[in-house]
Amino acid sequence: MLPNARSEFLAGCRDIAPVLVGTVPFGFVAGVAAVGAGMTPIEAIALSLFAFSGIAQLVVAQLVAAQSPALLTLAAALVVSLRFLMYSAALSPHLAHLPRRWRIALAYLMTDQGFAMGTHHYSQPGDRRLRHWHLLGVGVTLFTVWQASVIAGAVAGAQVPAAWSLDFVVTLTFLTLLVPALRTRADLAAAVVAGAVALAVSGLPYRLSLVVASVAGIGAGVLAERAHRR
Amino acid sequence: MNEWVVIVGAGVVTFLTRASFIVFADPHKFPHAFRVALAFVPAAVLAAIVVPGLAMPQGALDLTPANPRLLAGIAAVAVALRVRNPLASIVAGMAVLWGLQALRG
Repeated sequence: MLPNARSEFLAGCRDIAPVLVGTVPFGFVAGVAAVGAGMTPIEAIALSLFAFSGIAQLVVAQLVAAQSPALLTLAAALVVSLRFLMYSAALSPHLAHLPRRWRIALAYLMTDQGFAMGTHHYSQPGDRRLRHWHLLGVGVTLFTVWQASVIAGAVAGAQVPAAWSLDFVVTLTFLTLLVPALRTRADLAAAVVAGAVALAVSGLPYRLSLVVASVAGIGAGVLAERAHRR
Repeated sequence: MNEWVVIVGAGVVTFLTRASFIVFADPHKFPHAFRVALAFVPAAVLAAIVVPGLAMPQGALDLTPANPRLLAGIAAVAVALRVRNPLASIVAGMAVLWGLQALRG
């Protein structure tokens, strides 16, 4: 590893550290939810290793608990994972020069937090050639802490009192990503419309409200930017 | 058996969406309109997750001060606007939520 690659990797590990305070309870909640849905601890941990996505794991746990057919459960996991398409598209120009095995590894390790940190890091001035090492540091750190937290939750099971409201950490984690993402009026329009639509269509089955609200918000952002340019 | 189909299937679904453009597509061929739309993805998706978590904690809309998660969320936003450290916002939000829950029994 070149000295610069090493320092980028370690900077990634360090930069993601403040986010981990949310990752630990979030992973714990995901582990508890899977076991609470009737999965064995081994199945809960396997789900986490395969999916490595808090929202997807929570949705799968909810639908397994409701004894949904496997195809419907996977359709719901796909729906909540559609945002990864958008993250993937946004990151891909920065990673296009890398060998395939690098792109596969960074794709597997991509998360909401890792994407937010990565786009911020790539927007900084200076030499960008080794910044994929920063992404790798962020991804490996989040992966390790996430899996350890899920294992703790899967093993501890339902012994955590509901009164602790640990599930609220999930909302707060995404809130801390949302606030810095609101840089322009058009960003704000996208967020306000997406939030309002999410409330209005919350009755839709299979978490479809997330996708409908996201698309409405993106449309509002594009329109707001066009109006601003005129 | 059914569980393992779901477990492996969820892995395939999440990996394919993540890998879509990074592994399989040429980003230089994206149309301009698509790139403009991409800029609004984080704000829209994150708001669609966060807003119901604050405003509909029990599955029904509650925009009154009786909703502790709404107040806790406002506190977390206030901290996030001043400090660029996610830890501070999460701690503030949980502290307000636990404080309100303790006060209201």
